[in-house]
Amino acid sequence: MTLTITHGEIARLRRSNPEIFRRPLAERLREWGLWLGFAALLAFGLWWIDASPLRIWNGLSKLGFLVVLMIPPTDGGAFLGYCYAMLETLAMAFLGTLIAAVLAVPLGFLGAKNLVPNRLFHFGLRRVFDTFRGIDGLVWALIFVSAVGLGPFAGVLAIAVGDLMVFSKLFAEAIENVDRKPIEGVRAAGGSGIQTMRLGVFPQVFPVMMSHVLYFFESNVRSATILGIVGAGGIGLALSDRIRINNWDEAAFIIVMILVTVAVIDNLSRRIRMRIINADTGRK
Amino acid sequence: MTMRAETAGKLPASTHSERISAFEEHYRSARNLKRLWTTLYGALFLAALVGSILVSDFSITGLLIGLPKAWNYIAGTLPSLSLSNFWADLADWYWGINYWLRLLVETILMGFVGTALGGIVALFLCFPASRNLIDNTAIYFVSRRLLEFFRTVPELVFALIFVFALGLGPFAGVLAIAVHTAGSLGKLFAEVNENIDPRPIEGVRAAGGSWAMIMRLAVVPQALPNYASYGLLRFEINVRGASALGIVGAGGIGQDLYVAIRQFEYTDISAIMLLLIATTAIIDITCETIRHRLIGQDLTTGH
Amino acid sequence: MLEIRSATKSFGDVLAVDQVSLRVEPGQMVGVIGRSGAGKSSLLRLVNRLVSATSGDILFEGRSISGLSGQDLRAWRARCAMIFQQFNLVNRLDVITNVLIGRIGTAGTLPVMFKHFSTHERGMAAAALDRLDLLPQALQRADTLSGGQQQRVAIARALIQNPKLILADEPIASLDPRNARLVMEALRTINKEDRMTVICNLHTLDAARAYCDRIVGMAQGRLVFDGAPEALTPAVIQEIYGGADDETVDESLTSTIVARHRVAGTAEPRVVQSAH
Ligand SMILES: Nc1ncnc2c1ncn2[C@@H]1O[C@H](COP(=O)(O)OP(=O)(O)O)[C@@H](O)[C@H]1O
Ligand SMILES: [Mg+2]
Repeated sequence: MTLTITHGEIARLRRSNPEIFRRPLAERLREWGLWLGFAALLAFGLWWIDASPLRIWNGLSKLGFLVVLMIPPTDGGAFLGYCYAMLETLAMAFLGTLIAAVLAVPLGFLGAKNLVPNRLFHFGLRRVFDTFRGIDGLVWALIFVSAVGLGPFAGVLAIAVGDLMVFSKLFAEAIENVDRKPIEGVRAAGGSGIQTMRLGVFPQVFPVMMSHVLYFFESNVRSATILGIVGAGGIGLALSDRIRINNWDEAAFIIVMILVTVAVIDNLSRRIRMRIINADTGRK
Repeated sequence: MTMRAETAGKLPASTHSERISAFEEHYRSARNLKRLWTTLYGALFLAALVGSILVSDFSITGLLIGLPKAWNYIAGTLPSLSLSNFWADLADWYWGINYWLRLLVETILMGFVGTALGGIVALFLCFPASRNLIDNTAIYFVSRRLLEFFRTVPELVFALIFVFALGLGPFAGVLAIAVHTAGSLGKLFAEVNENIDPRPIEGVRAAGGSWAMIMRLAVVPQALPNYASYGLLRFEINVRGASALGIVGAGGIGQDLYVAIRQFEYTDISAIMLLLIATTAIIDITCETIRHRLIGQDLTTGH
Repeated sequence: MLEIRSATKSFGDVLAVDQVSLRVEPGQMVGVIGRSGAGKSSLLRLVNRLVSATSGDILFEGRSISGLSGQDLRAWRARCAMIFQQFNLVNRLDVITNVLIGRIGTAGTLPVMFKHFSTHERGMAAAALDRLDLLPQALQRADTLSGGQQQRVAIARALIQNPKLILADEPIASLDPRNARLVMEALRTINKEDRMTVICNLHTLDAARAYCDRIVGMAQGRLVFDGAPEALTPAVIQEIYGGADDETVDESLTSTIVARHRVAGTAEPRVVQSAH
């Protein structure tokens, strides 16, 4: 019957079900409007940043030239120095994450609305947590270098301050998600407020917190590699120096070092996270 | 390890007391093993802690001296606003508001264009990087490594390189954001793809669809809400990132913030930082609302 | 005319299809029956080339389809439409677009990327939906439909492929008896009115008896029966369904449509009579 279809039949179907052939005008307008708006904004943005084809072309050829200069990467005899700088980077990430995590535990407990049921207080604290997230880690580093001087110490503080509020928020959320029964158990057995938290809440949220902390450690290793660019210690200082003096093969060497280190840290941290999660579910 | 195997071997033929002692021995060895691991982890942690403190010049005295300094610095950036002369003081504090707003718009645009360009590249690279969508192992491997490279090299390093190749200004920053975004969104998109329902893929293939058609008709419709959600999240992150790129001369408000900090223009620092915080907060809240709506819509019109 | 010449498909050590030879004349409605794991799905997938045979050959109208690739392969897949147990629709697209997917085997890449289809193709899709009583649902999302409706959408998609052959892999296994009947009747109608060849995997005997001209029985990848429904004697059924464990097969256990209909009390006489 329908394997071949006549024009008359199409016309009939089109009359009875026009929107199968053409979607309603309002719907089409909305979709076109969205796409046009997106395209217009993109075009405006490209115009603003002056992304002319000629510039792209020139940039590309210069970039190709740079890549040629980068090969082969060499350490310029400073391998041990780079290794030490890399250690400094790892140390900044480690200490910064640790300090932020330790300080965030009490803040997290304060920010959890099931433990501190004051709406206004809760709302205010959460806004403070959110506010600090709005500043990039590099800006913090810049400020701390100005405040306490050049060196890795400024980097540690920058990472700690940048993460403190995010941790507090994540910890507060983890605490809000705890199972109520063990808490009531401890309370019923006559536990004090502190004891309730230590015995009823902490065992539940600890694995969650640990996995957040490890995840942030990974991401902080990445960000710590560049803090040196503003003078906050670590491998970033060496890298920006090599780039500034056009020493591209050594810059390439440092970039490769960063890639390898990040890959190794990611791998290790992923394994530990898996262990924690497995141990956690294994116990249940 | 060997001890445990032996006791396990003896179990069937043993008496009650033998079984109990075997169990106790097993329990003790398991507990010892666990203690060993805990000690090992503890030792590793301590070593890392001590090593980090040594390497990073971190000390309590440093902290005791440094923290008040940092606090004084932050307090010093705050303007002196008096109630009697509030509006004039405010105008004084935000003397450069027109210029800063322009830079703020530039920062947001950088975030937007970088996310859009990077997202488009991610959209093309995510299909060959999905295990379930590609049979050719070589193509899969290459696209995965490429995405990994894009997202592991820090954005700021790309920015440094692009500033050198393309000159100072936001163009270099946008490219740096785009490359990094392509890497991170590409990986997330590929993960979304790997979790879709395979049946529509088979349906479209059986109807005679080419690979590209299968991607367009069977994969994209399923994955699109997640793409959009991740894209918005990345946009939030990129606006924040764009505000820092100015430090290496790659455009945006970071450039002015950098100058203010370097030249100790204290009140400018707080003025710009507050603008930045407000902007990112507004963008975060807007994007979060849209994301919730995307997910909510999905829940109401389908399942 | 479809001719399968000792086709074999192995997955590692498992012989899913073992030296199967079969000729299907145009316009026939063939039911393939057998236990789960007998190799029914693999056989249909070999024909549609969703998988390729390990050895043997498959010919259609005298031309081998085993070596097809690229555009030729896509065109062949379009000519032998496939219907799946789980419908395999794209849930998040609307019904009409799901039907239009039936046209992509011969379409260009660019229009498909923008989901652009010609008025003629949209007309075909609308007519196919109309024929299956689903025109009012054309603009709904596919996953808002019931299972039976979704399977009929899949049939509409198959129809507008303009196929020479419809391969249905247990099309009613996920449906309730009423919808199962609707779907089987739709297939039967297409077979009768359009003279379209239909090969239909069924794991229940009663449906095969009720709707097919010819029944093919498979066990452990091999063809063990090929004949008219009347030739299905208890001994043959024992061979197809009994397997190695020598249980006697209770035929009522292999029927879904009739057994459930009796309980529900809504059985249509035609189905009951032809099943027993
Ligand atoms: N993709 C596959 N990979 C491995 N084994 C498979 C695959 N598809 C089918 N098989 C095996 O082939 C045999 C026949 O399966 P199938 O054709 O699905 O049977 P039926 O459709 O009759 O239930 C089964 O043993 C099944 O496990
Ligand atoms: Mg099957």
